Amino acid sequence: MSLVADTPPNSSSSDDFASLLAVELDSISSEASPEIEVEDDYELGPDSLEVTSPDVEDDHDYENRDLPLEGCRLSLVETVSIGVTGWSRHRVKRRKVEELEVMEKTNGKHVEYVDKFRLKCSVLLLLLLALSFVLLVLYFAELHFDLQLCAEASTSNKCLHPVVIKDICVVCGEKMEEASGVALGYIHKDLRLSKDELYRVRNLDKKNSLRNKKLYLVLDLDHTLLNSTRFKDMTEDEAYLKTGADTLKGRICSFDQQYVLTNMMPCGRLIIKGEIREAGRQTTNAVVSRVINKVQNLDLDEGSLFRLDYMQMFTKLRPFVHTFLKEANKMFEMYIYTMGEPLYAAEMARLLDPSGVYFSSRVISQVDCTQKHQKGLDVVLGQDSAVLILDDTENVWQRHRENLILMERYHYFASSCQQYGFNCKSLSELKSDERELDGALATILHVLKQVYSMYFDTELGDTIGDRDVRKILKSIRKEVLKGCKIIFSRVFPNKFPPQSHPLWKMAEQLGATCATEVDEPVTHVVAMDTGTEKSKWAVKQKKFLVHPGWLEATNYFWERQPEENFRVSQLKNQESSSAPHS
Amino acid sequence: MFFHIVLERNMQLHPRHFGPHLRDKLVAKLMRDVEGTCSGRHGFVVAITGVEDIGKGLIREGTGFVTFPVKYQCVVFRPFKGEILEAVVTMVNKMGFFAEAGPVQIFVSNHLIPDDMEFQSGDMPNYTTSDGSVKIQRDSEVRLKIIGTRVDATEIFCIGTIKDDFLGVINDPGAAA
Ligand SMILES: [Zn+2]
Repeated sequence: MSLVADTPPNSSSSDDFASLLAVELDSISSEASPEIEVEDDYELGPDSLEVTSPDVEDDHDYENRDLPLEGCRLSLVETVSIGVTGWSRHRVKRRKVEELEVMEKTNGKHVEYVDKFRLKCSVLLLLLLALSFVLLVLYFAELHFDLQLCAEASTSNKCLHPVVIKDICVVCGEKMEEASGVALGYIHKDLRLSKDELYRVRNLDKKNSLRNKKLYLVLDLDHTLLNSTRFKDMTEDEAYLKTGADTLKGRICSFDQQYVLTNMMPCGRLIIKGEIREAGRQTTNAVVSRVINKVQNLDLDEGSLFRLDYMQMFTKLRPFVHTFLKEANKMFEMYIYTMGEPLYAAEMARLLDPSGVYFSSRVISQVDCTQKHQKGLDVVLGQDSAVLILDDTENVWQRHRENLILMERYHYFASSCQQYGFNCKSLSELKSDERELDGALATILHVLKQVYSMYFDTELGDTIGDRDVRKILKSIRKEVLKGCKIIFSRVFPNKFPPQSHPLWKMAEQLGATCATEVDEPVTHVVAMDTGTEKSKWAVKQKKFLVHPGWLEATNYFWERQPEENFRVSQLKNQESSSAPHS
Repeated sequence: MFFHIVLERNMQLHPRHFGPHLRDKLVAKLMRDVEGTCSGRHGFVVAITGVEDIGKGLIREGTGFVTFPVKYQCVVFRPFKGEILEAVVTMVNKMGFFAEAGPVQIFVSNHLIPDDMEFQSGDMPNYTTSDGSVKIQRDSEVRLKIIGTRVDATEIFCIGTIKDDFLGVINDPGAAA
């Protein structure tokens, strides 16, 4: 027997080792068919009882002696031979072990042994089960994956042509017969998106903007950010503007000491027509910005009055606009949206944003509008609930009034004043300007900051994705005249339902309550003259008697305006005191 | 792809050029007229490499102009569907990016940019992988595959993809800075 020769000198230990191996082997064999083993044990049961006690001791020894397998230096072959030679012996042993379990449950060691054996069986069984389960899962997963691949393949065969540029689908490269979908000419002049794709992109963009913590801001050009006039429309009083940069350089405006009208930029001469290639607007912008970068040192950033010779035009930027854009850029992805021509829009964008940081490929002009004389947010790649609009014209935003912050018109040039029916001297003629620090843009920037911080306020309970700038705007507006009760006197035409008058609506939007009859809680009487009953009542009761302009100014500045600046004039009173009015 | 081909063109020449340098004048005018142009059929004429033959001039009645049929060899560049090109990115936006390979403008839609690259807006809009290791922005050089071409009389426009093996950024200007 090789067993004796090769095992370590301690014979008893070798014996025990053999028994250990036997048990191990047994457990392995039992893995294959544990149930049969159990049956076997039952049959062999009663006759091996008397052999038990010495063997128990043996097992004890084994347990105590602690034989590490490595120390035995048994090769695999030898182990097998041990297994074979020890087979008969181990069978006996096993039998008796099983017997013990049945007959002498009190013997802790044996029970433990058996428990180990059982444990091994069950663990291995479980492993087998798990393995087969995993295989099954893998099989089905693969099947599912295959199906998915098939589905994908079938959809890719049938391209929906979501984006088309120059009549070729950008996904499959196929040529399109007819143009369909929404044109996004401001990104590329021949770019069209299908309705579904537009929806997808706008949704996708929302995630992007939430991650970057940016909302969208759509800015109008004329009368909102700047004012332009053609050379030929300029009045005599404005002629000083034409005489050149020298007269203007460093001149301090009389109206506001803080505002310096910096040197006029003859940038028009640098961009001669030949340099503007007609191969798409991108190229135009790129060329133009390259030219502009060359003249950056000439203070373009700080300039506010521009003479554009090639367009026969003067453009004046609204005071504070540079600061406004810089600040707004931190909170918003900004678009320019103008009813002007594309070339004009591009030029104005360049004046406002010489390095193309604020509006890169987001300049929407007349040609991009999907509806005539209407501006729409459908071409803006952002969700309606995250877009704010600054515009001086409400009518063009009929579909998106709730997103709009109405701007007080900026009239710098005389032609602009005339166009809107003002017969007073223009700012240019008076050589003055809107104030920078509390002008329209500064005021609105404050509102924008408020909306922004409310949108991304983590203190509020709801999820940010569900928030809506329209609701936030409404709630901010409601705070402006909170607690005021307003009645109108001689403001609305006779028989006009007061509730539907714009001023009434405006007052309510600003959070005031409106009434038609005087009573104690009334705080303001809005009137055109002091002669009406309500006006007299207001004077007597020491209520505020204000001109409708007070409401309009409050609406523009999002702040209750000092009432004393809007006193109702006495003159009008004398003119029309006879007419009975409510 | 570049081709070296022979093309023909009828050149009209003002009578004042008739004289000892007629041929030189004709060739100079040919270069001026043809190099850099694009014909839908042959692509962009990159350079004229030689004049093979100048036929007999035909005097046009009334004007005195003479028309010469000229055969010339030239190198032309024409992109094809399936061709791999290297191009420089010129503009990046939400919809994808534009790139230029010489005179050819190529648009790669965000559908055909690998899914793990996401658009990042900002001062320098770009497409970046989540770990930031790969970035496509203006002036990046990319290798792309043409999947569609639109050939006009004077312009060739292509649609490309970088959603395939061995396509994408080949140098990153952002990494160097
Ligand atoms: Zn398609």
